[in-house]
Amino acid sequence: MDLNPPAGENYAHPNICFFHVLFKAAALAFYILSALFFDSFVIIFVVTVLLAALDFWVVKNVSGRILVGLRWWNEINDEGESVWKFECLDQESLARINKKDSWLFWWTLYLTAVLWLFLGIFSLIRFQANYLLVVGVCLTLSIANIVGFTKCRKDAKKQLQAFATQTLASRFSSTIQSAFTVV
Amino acid sequence: MSHSDTIPLHSTSQSDIDEIENLINTHSSSVLPARPPSPPRASIPISSAPNPPPAFIPSNLPTPTNPNTTPVPPVSSAAPKPPLPPRASGPSGNISASGFGSPPNTLTEPVWDTVKRDLSRIVSNLKLVVFPNPFREDPGKALRDWDLWGPFFFIVFLGLTLSWSASVKKSEVFAVAFALLAAGAVILTLNVLLLGGHIIFFQSLSLLGYCLFPLDIGALICMLKDNVIVKVIVVAVTLAWSSWAAYPFISSAVNPRRKALALYPVLLMYVSVGFLIIAID
Repeated sequence: MDLNPPAGENYAHPNICFFHVLFKAAALAFYILSALFFDSFVIIFVVTVLLAALDFWVVKNVSGRILVGLRWWNEINDEGESVWKFECLDQESLARINKKDSWLFWWTLYLTAVLWLFLGIFSLIRFQANYLLVVGVCLTLSIANIVGFTKCRKDAKKQLQAFATQTLASRFSSTIQSAFTVV
Repeated sequence: MSHSDTIPLHSTSQSDIDEIENLINTHSSSVLPARPPSPPRASIPISSAPNPPPAFIPSNLPTPTNPNTTPVPPVSSAAPKPPLPPRASGPSGNISASGFGSPPNTLTEPVWDTVKRDLSRIVSNLKLVVFPNPFREDPGKALRDWDLWGPFFFIVFLGLTLSWSASVKKSEVFAVAFALLAAGAVILTLNVLLLGGHIIFFQSLSLLGYCLFPLDIGALICMLKDNVIVKVIVVAVTLAWSSWAAYPFISSAVNPRRKALALYPVLLMYVSVGFLIIAID
């Protein structure tokens, strides 16, 4: 993946991109800067975790859908087993996804997780268990989204291949059939 | 919209047709991402679509699950009507709001719909778990639509209330309450699973979180009223309520001879939270 956004087009959904980045950046910024202003751990914890949870919701339900056309969730079927569902747009719409949008989506997703990991290591070094708790929660939320969307993307690719082979196969067989009927 | 020039099928009958076709066609383990639709379906809601083959099967069908495919999540893709680009303000289409997870067209629904859907799910889960209702004997059905937002809010609220009531060491109180509840829920779930119980990890976490709701109310009342006797009574009542709420789910998930083993830690955790509420001044 390259470090620069693909050139030549603008963001298709600037508002959504903004919100996608906003909550992540707010959670990180608040956590890092709050030590300067607030003395109370409770406020830091609650606000950071709240922002991280909001970000999780926004990414999972809004920006994932709109920026890259992917969605994942979990269901419990009739036999009482838990089933993970992955959903993606059909291939035409997927091809029409704005490249800049999806670049931003994936990059910020991975970047936030890495940053939280660093912050976690810092608080580990300083033996601050309560801050480690905050970082742990935020990291869990980021990783959950990363895993979900990566699986979704892989499944989308697999489906594309399956669809392509299937279309080829069905076209092939119908060609053969029509060849035989002609003969 | 989508039904302009076709048979105006209601969305739920569309999914019924899919269901019936699935039952007829398959017990094969391959999920069908794209198959050429049978004739009656070809006339169904694809208004200006180029052609039938891209009509993917909506994803919330109860696909016939074989046990060996469950570890691999069944993949299906949704068909928002192909010409529509994915945007938030797109037509919300025929969202058949259901208790079975996301309906087929959630990829193009407006954001506000998603918010409302999640909020109503929290409320309905709360009602199912905490208040008396006919489904309590069948836990698999009751919390089918688990979510973790409700438990998250309740745990944070409880922590905040306890922290507010405390006159010293507010931060520690909050951190302890949060960690205790979160870790406790995870450990209790593991306990049930290790006892050979049949419960799904997230479902159980969700349940234990929702059952905190009465204790939340108790903590709120105790914060407002500082009298010890009132506190003890309130905590006892809400504790009983919480335990009553959690009991059917846990007990029906395990072997009857191990019911007590599974229930005891749950009661222990709630009792310790109750003591925390009483002891904070």
